[in-house]
Amino acid sequence: MSVESGQWLLLVLALPLAGAVSLLKAQGAESFASRTLTALWAQTAAALGVWLTHAGKDSQLPGVGTVSVDALAAPMVPVLAFLHLLTLLGTAKSDVTRTGCVRVLLSSVLTPLLFCCVDGGMLIGTMALFSLLPAWDLLSGGRPARVFLLYFTPFILLLASGWLVRQDVGQVWTVGLLLLALKLCGGIFPLHGWMPSLFQRASFAAASLFVLPMVEVVATVRLVLPSAPAWMLESGSWACMATAIYASGMAVVQADARRFFAFLALSKTSLVMFGVLSGTLSGLTASLCLWGPVVLCLAGLGYSLRALESRFGRLSLAEHHGHYDQVPGLALVFLVSGLGVVGFPGTVGFVPMELLISGSFQHGLWACGLLAAVALLNGVSMLRAYFAFFTGKRPATSVSLRETSRERVGIVLILVAVIFAGWFSPSVVEARHELAERLLAPRARLP
Amino acid sequence: MPAAEQLLTFLGLAVLVAPFVPLAAFLGAALAGRTLSERTVGGLIQGVAWSGLIMASAAGAVMLATGTPWHAIELGDWVITADYHLKFQFLLDVLSLSYVVLTFVLCSVIAAFSTRYLHRERGYARFFVLFSVFLLGMLLASLADTCETLFVGWEMVGLSSVLLIAFFQDRPAPPRNGLRVWIVYRFGDAALMLAAIVMHELNGAGDFDHIVGRHAWPEHDPLLIGPHFALLGVLFVLAAAGKSALAPFSGWLPRAMEGPTPSSAIFYGALSVHLGAFLLLRVSPILDSAPWLSALVVGLGLVTSAVAFLSGRVQTDIKSALAFASLTQVGLIIAEIGLGLRWLALIHLLGHACLRTLQFLRAPSLLHDHHQLEDAIGERPAPERPGWEDRLPEGLRHRLYRFSIERGHLDALLDRLVARPFLALFRWFDARERAWSGFLEGRSGRTDDR
Repeated sequence: MSVESGQWLLLVLALPLAGAVSLLKAQGAESFASRTLTALWAQTAAALGVWLTHAGKDSQLPGVGTVSVDALAAPMVPVLAFLHLLTLLGTAKSDVTRTGCVRVLLSSVLTPLLFCCVDGGMLIGTMALFSLLPAWDLLSGGRPARVFLLYFTPFILLLASGWLVRQDVGQVWTVGLLLLALKLCGGIFPLHGWMPSLFQRASFAAASLFVLPMVEVVATVRLVLPSAPAWMLESGSWACMATAIYASGMAVVQADARRFFAFLALSKTSLVMFGVLSGTLSGLTASLCLWGPVVLCLAGLGYSLRALESRFGRLSLAEHHGHYDQVPGLALVFLVSGLGVVGFPGTVGFVPMELLISGSFQHGLWACGLLAAVALLNGVSMLRAYFAFFTGKRPATSVSLRETSRERVGIVLILVAVIFAGWFSPSVVEARHELAERLLAPRARLP
Repeated sequence: MPAAEQLLTFLGLAVLVAPFVPLAAFLGAALAGRTLSERTVGGLIQGVAWSGLIMASAAGAVMLATGTPWHAIELGDWVITADYHLKFQFLLDVLSLSYVVLTFVLCSVIAAFSTRYLHRERGYARFFVLFSVFLLGMLLASLADTCETLFVGWEMVGLSSVLLIAFFQDRPAPPRNGLRVWIVYRFGDAALMLAAIVMHELNGAGDFDHIVGRHAWPEHDPLLIGPHFALLGVLFVLAAAGKSALAPFSGWLPRAMEGPTPSSAIFYGALSVHLGAFLLLRVSPILDSAPWLSALVVGLGLVTSAVAFLSGRVQTDIKSALAFASLTQVGLIIAEIGLGLRWLALIHLLGHACLRTLQFLRAPSLLHDHHQLEDAIGERPAPERPGWEDRLPEGLRHRLYRFSIERGHLDALLDRLVARPFLALFRWFDARERAWSGFLEGRSGRTDDR
């Protein structure tokens, strides 16, 4: 009897929950880490099962009709599982806590669930729950959560009101409210203030797990794209383009490593959103292709940064730290992931970025030029950060700071994913093109 | 397919695959947590360079013997959508093979030199990893028959060059200069990427033969007239200007001398700095699409040459002097291309690259010889000065000297017009953002970074 992707999804959701329950009886950081890691390895294997058994056929979560593995979710579920696995592999033993592990496991349940929600109400509810995780991290660590709450309370209110008033007011208002909420969640200019603040205040793991999956893109594709008027999508797409340019410029001038990462991530996530909101077949195809690689590459970059922080504390970009000789593996991961983020040839990010830039030609050559400028600035900020962290006078240390064996596993996984996953580009592009056609089909029936 | 064509396809592919051998070895060793010995690394690199040279020469010999003016190697379409077409296609012709043979000749020499020059140097393996990436990039760019393939090679050459400039990474200056070069390269990359998109829009593909027709270089279809071709030409010229350090981007070339001597020789004396000229040779029919475009290329070449000549006259270190001497010749090569003297430009390029490589490699020992000479004769030999400088009015001579010592003010110009306004604007944004975050958090003034 063959197992369907919906059944694999059940495992994807159940395994981390079982891991979280097992943490209740565990004692000590090593035990927390090993139990969480076991659950996440198992989840990653099950997530691969989701993807491999999908084969173009949608499959419901057993007994739950509102959760289904479709072509949008199937390739992203393993990427999300991988992101969570990397997060734990990159967490230093001294930073492992029971609540931290529970949060990672809950996030690893909520994100695939969110991607597989085909019911609007459930999707909105899951997003609201998901947005509580960073707030929990901030509050439990005694760090200021005001900025985050100031942005995400309206986010939840807008989402809920947009969904609740859909029968009473016109479609334009409903979609408008939802889109505004999603722009808040995506940090689209000028609503992006929470993102650098979150990366500075929250733990790096919590901030990354909240921002990198780009849940606002799922909600946009499922709730907004089918029915939004063309003018609304177009204005949204230009706001995303402006955000991408602004954030890429901001990443160049940052002196703090976390703010640099926040703006780089914002630049890339808004590019994905730009393609979705462009409402064109080429733009949507490019975005769907870019989504996974952006998550992978930013996860790799974040992995390297977190490992550096766990050794040397918060890092500044205003000076050269010279860590290459101490952690050459992390330097390699930073460089390769960074090149992937930029869309450098030979990495998983190359073809999607080229697709996006070429696909924007229908807006005019100047749109391609703006996207090329974003790629240029991202490349500059990435290499500037690489030089700041890994070049300069070598600091003397009395103990070895080389990568641990657990970190080495993460390094190998990232390198393999960023370098070799690019070889699957043709089949991925084909599948995403078909998906984009299906997603845009309802728009043809709009008045 | 006739046997000769099969043989050419095999040789062409073998040439392309060669650099993957050391790269695979390095990656395998890194993943296994092992370090390759100097002997293994040296053997691998030299073996690849020599075998590549033999295969490229053999391909040239087969083409000469069979009278084949060009041979295309199609590896098929990689990605196709309505707006994007990534196709791996390579071309063996007199232009590409000349550059490939030049690449292998110089890489063989540099590989042999570097294995000794960098003996026991920290970063020995890192140097040869980057060297292999550079070699792969050069081969992809030289043999490319589509703009997208050329772009892939172009980017690889840029990245490896920049990381080699920052090779001596303990000091702050090499990475700083590497970053500066990277910014210029990225600008050129963006122009090339846009050129590829325009080519696609013009012809539905980025294949060079769709633009210039399938002829033996430098012949081409005559009908390449129109504003879109001129736009394409401008984008190619911008890309070439970034890569070949043409005005106003010339300032990066002396900065690139921070790298080890072998990489300076191969990148900035020989191969990389000529890649822009190579690109213009490849797309030279497009330059003929508008007379003003040709004039622009000639002007750009001559201005670059003049600024580089003057700047070179006042340099006090040998590598910078050689860098500007290289640039003087590159400017002339570009001018020749603009004038339509394509064969002359190609021959000039090949000869100049070989000469300059030898000069760069000789530079460290030449200084040593000069010191010995000075010790022997007990004084410094009188510097050679051309008579024309002394005949200039004193005021003009001083102005020229200041112009030369400031390297034509080109770096200062870019700083003033681009870098400083950009940084000021975004730092202002950053300050406002921090103030806004501070306000939301209930603190006044700038927030801290913790």
